[in-house]
Amino acid sequence: MWGSDLVAKNPDFYHIYKNPWGDDEVVCVRALVPDYAILHVQEADIYGNARILGPSYQDALMARAAKKVILTTERIVGTYRMQEEPKLTAIPHFLVEAVVELPGGAKPGICYPEYLTVDWADHKAYQKAVKADEVKQFADKMLEGRA
Amino acid sequence: MEFGKDYGKPEMFATAVMREIKDGEIVFHGLASSTPMVVMKAAKALGKDFTYVTLSDGVDHDWNRPPYVASTLTENTYTGSVATFGLDEIFDLYASGKGDIAFLSCLQIDKTGRIAMSYVGGDYDHPKLRGPGGAGSATLTPVTKRTIIWKTAHDKRTMVEHVEFATTSPAVDKEFTLITPLCIFRKPVGEKLLKLECIFPYTTVDEVKENTAWVIDETEVPVMAPPTEEELAALKKVDPNNILAFEF
Repeated sequence: MWGSDLVAKNPDFYHIYKNPWGDDEVVCVRALVPDYAILHVQEADIYGNARILGPSYQDALMARAAKKVILTTERIVGTYRMQEEPKLTAIPHFLVEAVVELPGGAKPGICYPEYLTVDWADHKAYQKAVKADEVKQFADKMLEGRA
Repeated sequence: MEFGKDYGKPEMFATAVMREIKDGEIVFHGLASSTPMVVMKAAKALGKDFTYVTLSDGVDHDWNRPPYVASTLTENTYTGSVATFGLDEIFDLYASGKGDIAFLSCLQIDKTGRIAMSYVGGDYDHPKLRGPGGAGSATLTPVTKRTIIWKTAHDKRTMVEHVEFATTSPAVDKEFTLITPLCIFRKPVGEKLLKLECIFPYTTVDEVKENTAWVIDETEVPVMAPPTEEELAALKKVDPNNILAFEF
């Protein structure tokens, strides 16, 4: 963060301390603690053990940072899947508050390898809905016939 | 190779970026970086032996698979990877001094290498243009051995006299490079200002000066050799959908 005007601009977020092990100084960044992380995964069991079968970005980190985690998943699988390969469980159940089975839940975004490209028409419709304060109507339309 | 016949500005730009990558290096590019993505695939096709880490977690993905959209957040930079290594791990890796190159871009830049990524115009709370912010650039620039800013526009709106609010700026003890469609500027280790290092075959120092808002002291600099047949073939091979053209 050295050399960034962001440090002076956001004193609530960045703080400069003397390095306890040296004569120089270090920039400390305040930890973000979201109330919720809502994460979409490929596979989860009913307890909230989740497997991310493609790029995981910072989902596992966010699951650890947030106070509560809500998972949406392409499919619910048996816990035996996790027991077969525990290393593939990116998020363990004790971090998770709720699991929602929601195939296509990352649309209009991407969920590897289920759907690989962004649906731009739906993405634009979403942007429009946000601007018009019509996100609920947009979501209802996306979920039509599923409830 | 002849400009306008065998190659254009995108190919020269891509070649200049490609020539920065050396064997044995660990190389990263950021989000929305279709140009360095194509360049890094082409560098792999040329046989350069470096490690390619990306935001999509993939380490050394299968570069043979051509990109089909100008996005760097798809399976295209993941499928065929030999390992996964997330952005949080990449930040840690670079913070520990093990990262060689970070390809980053900017909204504006000045002669000291101050970069605007947060906003341009107005002030921080009421900007005229809000940028993507500085997760990557502010974190990586101070710790990366060689930060390379790629910018596909070269004009006085972009190469400004002074950046008002710097999302990041170079460390004195690190090399810092700016590549544009006209030339390469470089700040060597131990120095504070960007110097004009070389120009591309189809331009002149005068044209570079006319399109740069800061004062360029150099009067005579070398002209970089045009792309070779092999370099152009590598670009063509990895990019049949011409994603490279997207940024130009």
